[in-house]
Amino acid sequence: MHSGLLRRNSIHGVSAMNNLNDIIMVLILLSVLLSLASSRLAALVRIMALQGVMVSLLPLLLEHHAAMGSGGLIFFQVMIIIKGVLIPGLLFYALKRIAIHREIEPIIGYHASLFAGLLIILLAVFITDKLQLSVPVGNSLLFTTAVTTCFSGFFLMMSRRKALTQVIGYLMLENGIYLVGTALTKHSHTVYVLEFGVLLDLLVGVMIMGIILHNINHAYDDIDTDLLNRLKD
Amino acid sequence: MLELIFIVPMLTGLAALFFPANLGRGVLLVCGVLHFQLCIMAWLGKLSIYADHYFYPAPSGMLVLLVTSFIFLCISFYTVCYMQESEIENKPVFIGCMLLFLGTMSMVCLADHPIVLWIAIEATTLVSAPLIFLHRSNESLEATWKYVMICSVGIALALLGCFFITLSIDIAAVDVSLTFSSLNKVATQLDPVWLKVGFIFVVIGFGTKMGLAPMHTWLPDAHSQAPSPASALLSGALLNCAFIGVYKVHTLMYLAGLGTFSSNLLITFGLFSMLVAGIFILRQPDYKRMLAYSSIKNMGIIAFGVGIGGFALYGAILHMIHHSLLKSSLFLSAGNILLGYNSKRVDHIGNLVTFLPRTFVSLFAGFIGICGLPPFGLFISELFILIGAMQAGHHWAAALFVFNLLLVIAGATQIISSMSFGDGGERPLESEHLLRVLPPYALLLASVVLCIWMPEIVYTAIINTISIIGGAIHG
Repeated sequence: MHSGLLRRNSIHGVSAMNNLNDIIMVLILLSVLLSLASSRLAALVRIMALQGVMVSLLPLLLEHHAAMGSGGLIFFQVMIIIKGVLIPGLLFYALKRIAIHREIEPIIGYHASLFAGLLIILLAVFITDKLQLSVPVGNSLLFTTAVTTCFSGFFLMMSRRKALTQVIGYLMLENGIYLVGTALTKHSHTVYVLEFGVLLDLLVGVMIMGIILHNINHAYDDIDTDLLNRLKD
Repeated sequence: MLELIFIVPMLTGLAALFFPANLGRGVLLVCGVLHFQLCIMAWLGKLSIYADHYFYPAPSGMLVLLVTSFIFLCISFYTVCYMQESEIENKPVFIGCMLLFLGTMSMVCLADHPIVLWIAIEATTLVSAPLIFLHRSNESLEATWKYVMICSVGIALALLGCFFITLSIDIAAVDVSLTFSSLNKVATQLDPVWLKVGFIFVVIGFGTKMGLAPMHTWLPDAHSQAPSPASALLSGALLNCAFIGVYKVHTLMYLAGLGTFSSNLLITFGLFSMLVAGIFILRQPDYKRMLAYSSIKNMGIIAFGVGIGGFALYGAILHMIHHSLLKSSLFLSAGNILLGYNSKRVDHIGNLVTFLPRTFVSLFAGFIGICGLPPFGLFISELFILIGAMQAGHHWAAALFVFNLLLVIAGATQIISSMSFGDGGERPLESEHLLRVLPPYALLLASVVLCIWMPEIVYTAIINTISIIGGAIHG
């Protein structure tokens, strides 16, 4: 009787975990759609902060990552700080020094972008289904979310003119690729030193992009990348 | 400790960001000499690995490391003089980033773990961006933005490729550490479908950094807008480091039995790059841009040679070495011309043979070399690639290759002869300082010497790296 209760509780615990995972993944998908429809740059940065925190939390809660040492816990906390606080902080700092607050006349309009985002989700579901991956995790929603985030990041980079939005698109692409890695690779391959190196590259990358952004603004009084058209053949 | 090869330049670079400019010049020179010495010691086997899960002195990496170190030594001599005569606003950043650049490129050469390779290549992108932007013009700003964005996206795709390769390990349920040397041993057991997908992403990703068309759009801008010492490093060393990434995964594919797939992909990208570069070299108004397109073409030739395999593979490795030497020499000569005439346009330069005779000799010799004429090494390497292509039966590809070579020779001849013997331009402002003129000669001499005499140890390394994937020096 006692063991039966215990078993029921542990199963309930596992399904609660699964629910939490699903909630986080849905939140990530929502953040992707929101970012495609948003024209205000400050809102975009806030959405990316939320997405960064969600993406960092997800591996903590996945089942096969449950056996993780203290090094892993510290690493994930560092990752949440970098993706949720430092990188959005850098972007906000860059935004404050630029006078631009909105994306004006994007190459693909906001309603069309939102529709494209929905199409991307459908495409991702189709790909996940077709591939029938016998992946270690076995959670197809994770792979769908990952593919959606990748494609949307790419789409954002292609369809917007302001340089800051392109940086945000790149960050979204990196988030998506990180999710693909989480979905596909076994925990035993994760070496925290290396993942930290990847994060460091990302942080320095955003810093350098921010510096270039500041210089573009200084030179042109705008961060519209259409102005960068002097080098041609 | 083998890792000193990249730790020393990186730490020195970080420190040099805070040094005053005059001290920085000496630091650059000393670090270049030290790095070259460490490389020679590593080649002689005197340095042992410390972190052997991540780093390993593979022959391909060691070859690129040696070439990079030698080029950097010559460039550091050049830079000492260049910094005095050119207007650089932020000298500490220049010195610091050059050293960090050397350090991160050395890390790429020694990396054995795919993620370490990725971290190092992305680091080279980030560390070279301030170099491109050094002169702070609007054009260089545009070039830096395109460089950072396109290369970062490309390298992110390569990371995706690395994850797919890891997936192929997991699906095959093989328990092996994630390093190229251990993966090569179990290659036949890995899942072929995901290896192929991973390879496609890696070629697109690292190919972006290598300058293969159609992902090359950042290269002409970045290499022409950067200051000449940085351009020489970018063309002569960085493209080779990106090539290592492609080469290592190609080796894995070959050992897994998927060599035909990866070879065809490399041949396609190679031919396309050569074609695109050939078209844009004709009537190119900016001579540094012409040199950048020539880099794209030569990277295409290397990819083509690796794809064909066999004898052409030997040619491709030789081509990589000699191209680095000749291209960096050409960029340094171009830097001399730029300092003299203060213009990048071909029609503003003229009569080099009277005004800057020593630079003319190095430019003309470099031009002969880059066109693939003897006595320079590209003649031999292109001949070997051609012979290899004919032997392997790729007759159409060989014909396209020859056609493309002739196209590029035609385009470059017109530009170089107009600059050397033509009428345009006024008298140059600066005279030729010896320290600026000697490094290009040193690099050209190295290419000639390597043709006649190759050290036994270098030759063995080349044979070791190509015999893994079926290359040979006899047809």
